Amino acid sequence: MRSRLLVSLISISLSLLSGAGCSTHAKRISLSRSLFYEGQLDACRDRLEKLHKSHRQDRDVANLDLAVVDLLEGRCKEAETRLKEVRDRFDHLEQESISEKTISMWTDDTVRSYAGEDYEKILIRVYLALASLMQDGVDAESYTLQIQDKHDAVMQRIWGASIDNTKPPGDLNTKKFRGLPIGFYLRGMLREQTHVDYDDALRSYTQVAELLPDCEPIRWDVARATQGVHSQPGCGALYIFTLVGRGPHKVESVEQPTSDALLIADRIISALGPYKLPPTIAPIKVPKVVAPNLDIDSVNVAVNGQPIGSTVSIADIDQLAVDTSEAARTQLIARAVARRVLKKATVAAVKQQTSQNSLTSLGFDAAGVAWEALENADTRCWGLLPGKIQVLRVEIPAGSHTISLAPEHLGRISHRTNTHQVSMTSGKNSYILAWFPDTLAQPRILSSGH
Amino acid sequence: MKPKKPSSKRAQPDHLNEPHCAHEGECDYEQPSRRQWLRAALACASLAPILSGIAGCRGYQYGHLVKPGAKDLVGSHEAGSEVFHPLVDESVAKLLTRQEEQCSIAPDGSPQKKTICFVCVENKMSEDIGDFKDQLYEQIDSKILESDVFRPVSRRMVEAALQETRLRPDSLMIPDNMRLFTAVLERQGAPIDYLLYAKLTSGTTQRNSSKQRDYLLTLELTNVHSGVYSKESAEIRKGYHKSAMGSFWNYSR
Repeated sequence: MRSRLLVSLISISLSLLSGAGCSTHAKRISLSRSLFYEGQLDACRDRLEKLHKSHRQDRDVANLDLAVVDLLEGRCKEAETRLKEVRDRFDHLEQESISEKTISMWTDDTVRSYAGEDYEKILIRVYLALASLMQDGVDAESYTLQIQDKHDAVMQRIWGASIDNTKPPGDLNTKKFRGLPIGFYLRGMLREQTHVDYDDALRSYTQVAELLPDCEPIRWDVARATQGVHSQPGCGALYIFTLVGRGPHKVESVEQPTSDALLIADRIISALGPYKLPPTIAPIKVPKVVAPNLDIDSVNVAVNGQPIGSTVSIADIDQLAVDTSEAARTQLIARAVARRVLKKATVAAVKQQTSQNSLTSLGFDAAGVAWEALENADTRCWGLLPGKIQVLRVEIPAGSHTISLAPEHLGRISHRTNTHQVSMTSGKNSYILAWFPDTLAQPRILSSGH
Repeated sequence: MKPKKPSSKRAQPDHLNEPHCAHEGECDYEQPSRRQWLRAALACASLAPILSGIAGCRGYQYGHLVKPGAKDLVGSHEAGSEVFHPLVDESVAKLLTRQEEQCSIAPDGSPQKKTICFVCVENKMSEDIGDFKDQLYEQIDSKILESDVFRPVSRRMVEAALQETRLRPDSLMIPDNMRLFTAVLERQGAPIDYLLYAKLTSGTTQRNSSKQRDYLLTLELTNVHSGVYSKESAEIRKGYHKSAMGSFWNYSR
């Protein structure tokens, strides 16, 4: 009876160990990230497509990264398709799966389907809106409404506030997610273009101003929506969106085994039986969001050689990713501790079923430690996001113009200027999307309708 | 000298783990041993994935067509179809009835239609109406078009005129602006007699965790030649509560 139980337990453990995998998403994606930031987008896409095919659990995040590559290479339609696919899948995965939860308690969080972080869910819709604007913009307004819906849902879940409470929470020092202004900005921008719905534009710009109280250009937008008009006769509005810096990504971090959480776990196990616990040498691995330092503060814009101004941030993705990660950390560690308890309980149970042979006991201790050590942190994330999304609005006469973009850091404008031709229509918006990962990399610039 | 406690970690003989009673017949049930408890816990943990696989699967999303005449969903946090559709029906009906009474008759006996420019729907509520705004415009515009009283100007022409003149909809009542705007429409082949604005407003009454919000849709019609205006409005009151009994508790006493 005992031997049968022992054999079955060992076989279950081995099968679960094999399911846990041996490398993290962070390691698998590192080469793709390097290629991306070196500007080798074709090679990066090849790597990501291989990852997309070979690792089922990485499929959604690989799809998101592929969408970024597609967008920067001008394949906006393909990018939109990918983003829509992941958007729908993340919506589906918002429902909890108890089976996945249970299996993850025996292995690690990497076996769970990745449902996306809150900021990623909003940014998917932001990227959808940008991808649409770079084409014909037909669906852009729908995407801005979806951004607001998702934003409201996230805020309601986090803050427990009623969704008609559109004002962000008052405590600015909190680590809780406070919202992404870019969604409201895009909505205001599109409503203003109708030349009719200035009240909608004002409502949206006011929400941006509440989230970015120190941003002066937003105050200009509010003033324009209150009393002004979209643009002067014969002029159009050019919106330059810049994706600045290398964005946040998750790495595996090791939580010290001396933490309170582990102590509690050990006490629970000790209370279950008279046996000595396996030594706690395997630390808990949890994902940690890291945001690389940016060497670009903004992008300086000149129109036909005439300096106009610099872009301002309307989405600090780095900060939001770090904040939301910190807020979810306690829950993450608690889950890891619970998993550790379950594994220790399993080892203790098996030991109790077997003889008092010290050699066998030592073997089980070692197996238990190995089981725990094989855990991996779930480092899946949208890895090719920028650190910030910035914008500058310029009102210029209808016709063709040369736009020059140069990165700016600590007040110094880089001599490496990148020019792009843009066609303006009177009374209409035109858009430029530029990617500046750092001061050394070659930027990519797209304009609407191309 | 303190008495030495027996070590709890010392191996115990098997019989110490078995349940026992001080006297025979005192226990009417068997106490589960620690070993049995662990065995049961382990069995539960092993079966959990299978059981949860049956009970805890992610569901699919489904859709269905709402039959004509069926009741609209009532929004739990904001106004929706249940508020806007009746508001539009009532306010437009009032407007058309009033204008039919004042309608002049053409020499052939048919009612003389007035050319109307429906400028916009203004949202002055505390709620964002999102995608309802354009739908409200289209609903009102369609009802006016179906009437025998008005001949509306196309929305696209209105937007083009606003874009060309760079005038804000709320600034059209300034005489110079109105002249410029009507002149542009006239040049486009759509001279107008009236400007129509639809305005949504709300008023909120709070009572502890419950609140009542009154929604008002006002249609404001202004004669561009004489400046004379008329208004018709419709109101719907709606209560929001934190509990299912909120409506009974707040409105049945």
